[in-house]
Amino acid sequence: MSAWRHWLAAWWSRRLPAQTRVKLGQKHIFIVPTMAGYAFAAALLLMLMVAINYQNSLAYALTFLLASVGLLSILHTWRNLAGLQLIGLPAEACFVGENARFPIRLQATRRTYQAIGLGWLRQKMLVTDVAKHSEQQVELSLAVKRRGKHSAERIRVETRFPLGIWVAWSQVDLAQSVLVYPKPIEAPLELAGVAAGEDAVEGLATAGRGVDDYQGLEAWQQGDSLRRVNWKAWSKGQGLWIKQFAELKGAQTQLNFSALGGDVEYRLSVLCAQVLKLTQQETPFSLQLLEQTIGPGTGAAHQAECLTALALFAGAEHG
Amino acid sequence: MAEHKIKPSIPRNSLIWLLIAQVLVILPLLWHVPLWIIGLWLVCAAWRIQVFRMRMQFPKAIVKVAMMVSAAFAVYLSRGSLVGLDAGVALLLTAFVLKLVELRSKRDALVLIYLGFFTVVTSYLFDDSILAAGYSLLSVTALLAALVGLQQTVLTGRPGKTVTQAAAILLQAIPVALLLFLFFPRLDPLWVLPAPKDKGVTGISDHMSPGDIAELSQSSELVFRASFTGEIPTQNQLYWRALTLPYFDGRTWHMQNMTSDLLAPEWQAQGDMLEYSVIMQPSSRTWLYSLAVSQTEQKDIRLMNDFRLQHNTPIHRTYLYQARAWPEALAEPKLSPEKYRFYLQLPHKVNPQARAWAQQLRQSYPDDESLVRAVLRTFNQGEYFYTLKPPRLGKHSVDEFLFATQTGFCEHYSSSMTFVLRAAGIPARVVTGYQGGEVNRAENYVQVRQYDAHSWVEYWRLGFGWHRVDPTFQVAPERIEQGLQEALRGESLNTGLLSPLSYRHINWINQLRISWDTLNYTWQKNVLGYQAERQKNWLKGLLGEISWQRIGVGLVITIALLFALISLWLFKPWQTRLSETQRLLKQFERLLAKRQYKREPAEGLRAFQARIQADLSPPQRMALDAFVHSYEQNEYANVPVPAVQLKQQLQTLRHSLAGR
Repeated sequence: MSAWRHWLAAWWSRRLPAQTRVKLGQKHIFIVPTMAGYAFAAALLLMLMVAINYQNSLAYALTFLLASVGLLSILHTWRNLAGLQLIGLPAEACFVGENARFPIRLQATRRTYQAIGLGWLRQKMLVTDVAKHSEQQVELSLAVKRRGKHSAERIRVETRFPLGIWVAWSQVDLAQSVLVYPKPIEAPLELAGVAAGEDAVEGLATAGRGVDDYQGLEAWQQGDSLRRVNWKAWSKGQGLWIKQFAELKGAQTQLNFSALGGDVEYRLSVLCAQVLKLTQQETPFSLQLLEQTIGPGTGAAHQAECLTALALFAGAEHG
Repeated sequence: MAEHKIKPSIPRNSLIWLLIAQVLVILPLLWHVPLWIIGLWLVCAAWRIQVFRMRMQFPKAIVKVAMMVSAAFAVYLSRGSLVGLDAGVALLLTAFVLKLVELRSKRDALVLIYLGFFTVVTSYLFDDSILAAGYSLLSVTALLAALVGLQQTVLTGRPGKTVTQAAAILLQAIPVALLLFLFFPRLDPLWVLPAPKDKGVTGISDHMSPGDIAELSQSSELVFRASFTGEIPTQNQLYWRALTLPYFDGRTWHMQNMTSDLLAPEWQAQGDMLEYSVIMQPSSRTWLYSLAVSQTEQKDIRLMNDFRLQHNTPIHRTYLYQARAWPEALAEPKLSPEKYRFYLQLPHKVNPQARAWAQQLRQSYPDDESLVRAVLRTFNQGEYFYTLKPPRLGKHSVDEFLFATQTGFCEHYSSSMTFVLRAAGIPARVVTGYQGGEVNRAENYVQVRQYDAHSWVEYWRLGFGWHRVDPTFQVAPERIEQGLQEALRGESLNTGLLSPLSYRHINWINQLRISWDTLNYTWQKNVLGYQAERQKNWLKGLLGEISWQRIGVGLVITIALLFALISLWLFKPWQTRLSETQRLLKQFERLLAKRQYKREPAEGLRAFQARIQADLSPPQRMALDAFVHSYEQNEYANVPVPAVQLKQQLQTLRHSLAGR
């Protein structure tokens, strides 16, 4: 079974290799009858029986008309997928236990695409329309249970429009991936092995962004506290600027993986919670992961760097 | 965001069309099903709508079972049975209606739609006129719209748009459907199915009493249409034979089945030959209408011993057949002794006067032919009248008619003449059928209605066979020459106030009536009559030799070609299919080209930008740069930029250029 799955996956990636943008075309789209389609055929057969047995020309005519409609809807269903462009957008990082959300942009051509279903294999589908000359963004979510970098599965895109008796479908790999941070676990600060004080003293550090001493303005970044925005400048239409302060604390907060107890994942989780907490408090800190040291620093970029390191931490076995 | 999870529930759009389709499907069947079905439909539809508005619940299982059982019982009560086509259709319709209240999921809706298609087909069994066919296209379109609506997302539901889509698909399907209709082989029925029950089908019956045919002539219903390959014979040649009635019980002439009926009669073709085809309305009878003596090559029709044509099953649908007739044929020159006696049969103790008159005639005219002439002369010269409303006759009907009332319709004349001839020892029989018909010059066919019903006499002479005489002709020659309308100028025919036949004297109404009739004739002949025989003839004319294998292959190839054509039209591959961003780039180039900045075919976007930048003002330069940057990001750096943003940047550029 699993060998078969592998073979199938390999076949798919040979046929439709991972690409950020896919314009559905002949080589992508498959079309097969649905259950409703088989039922439709059975109903037509019954109608043909009536036509034959009663030698009724109109019954023949209607049977043939509907048969022709059924055949024709192959073209219509196929057309309702052909030319549609799927673009995989970068997914935002998330934490273990959350749903990773993969944004996908659907771009129509000069045709309107109706009732396009998108979803992971064997799961419920999102259905959306894409009006002509426009685009539509949808998000597929996937529950993630492990930290690290995860590639998204192949996405099934299908449509049964207009009659529901055929389904045109494809499986595309939009080369999307998501970074999953460890699940944050709150633990008391003392137990968390924050090595503050003696061995972390590095003199008066003014490198990191702090809260104490006003240093100047810096462009606002996502994640920066709104409390420090220079609203005066913003109201004058000069954009969002952050007031910069230098931290004048003598001691630096350091988060150290080795100083913690418990298994690796637990330790990473605790560190994760601390990173989030310290960033929110705007306390500069550094992160020590075995040989790797990040910081000291504070702010969104620093937080992202720390969390990424936690997510991708591989020295687990030796820690 | 226009998205939602697929729910199996039915979109509103689909529900609307489903309800409309149901009304359309049920409407034409109302004449054939018990009327309480309307009430049932109203209840079910109201219920379902209330469920949609969340004011009511779906019925519980027990309620549904109770509804099903009581509906079936009601069908049984009103139809007297649960089998047969009528009861079957009533059951089908109740199922179609009841399904409405358990319409929860898309699957239920699908079942309902397919049931609807099937119901449309059954409605054709009751009515296959051109109007019914046209009307059913409405029902089919509504059903297809419901099917399309089922696939739509809830948010796009606009009923008008859905039905347009359905109609478009239906229109595109017509060419292939037409091909299939023409070339798909018409098979013989695979098994016998119950036929529609005859509701008041009027027509010639297998017996004839005084007054029967007069009653028939009150109806202007169409019986059949006949077209001739050559000239249409004169009216007095058009004796459309249906049946012979050899057995007389004193009042009524009966048809009698004899074993010898099935034996092919002995006859010789002579004289001119007429080639004709008949399209008859359903009669629920086996006998057909023919000119004596007719022959046909259709294998389901046989020439019976009394020279009538008979189909092997009752005619329940519009039926087309072709035949050749020899009006002067020698029919049965020899009669077996037993049949000779049979055609002299008379009941005892009735009509003594008529018998006595026959004996008297026999003595004066030993020759059969002169005796017959003498009888006809009596009708011609005596005080006999032709009327639709003759006085009632008692036990000795022939006596009373011949010697007392002397007024009657064709059946009185044919009946008494046959009686007299038999009493005089001449084998004779009553023949019933139709006489004459209205000629449609445009399409060269004769149209025969119920009021053309007629009966006449045949007598037999050794060596000469059967010979037709029409006593009515002696009394009312205009009946034969011009038709009943003329013969009964005094008595008005009861065609009804609404019937266009009542307004024949108004020219344009008459023209309209004739054109409409011509259309119906063409419809019946070319569409309804397109069955095995006609298909074979048509294919022979088209292809010469009929080989179903080759037709099959040809059909598949032609359909494939048609599909290729339709898909060309649907996909329009000659139009370049640009993505939205590429389309915006084209607009961008056009915008700059208008300002004399034409991008060369091989010029990169960056190079182009660098080339023209020098001429631009700072804001223009900024706008240009923003667009180019976004475009490149999107196309080459794989950082998807929303089309809206590009569009906006293009707009900014346009404004800044215009502001120069």
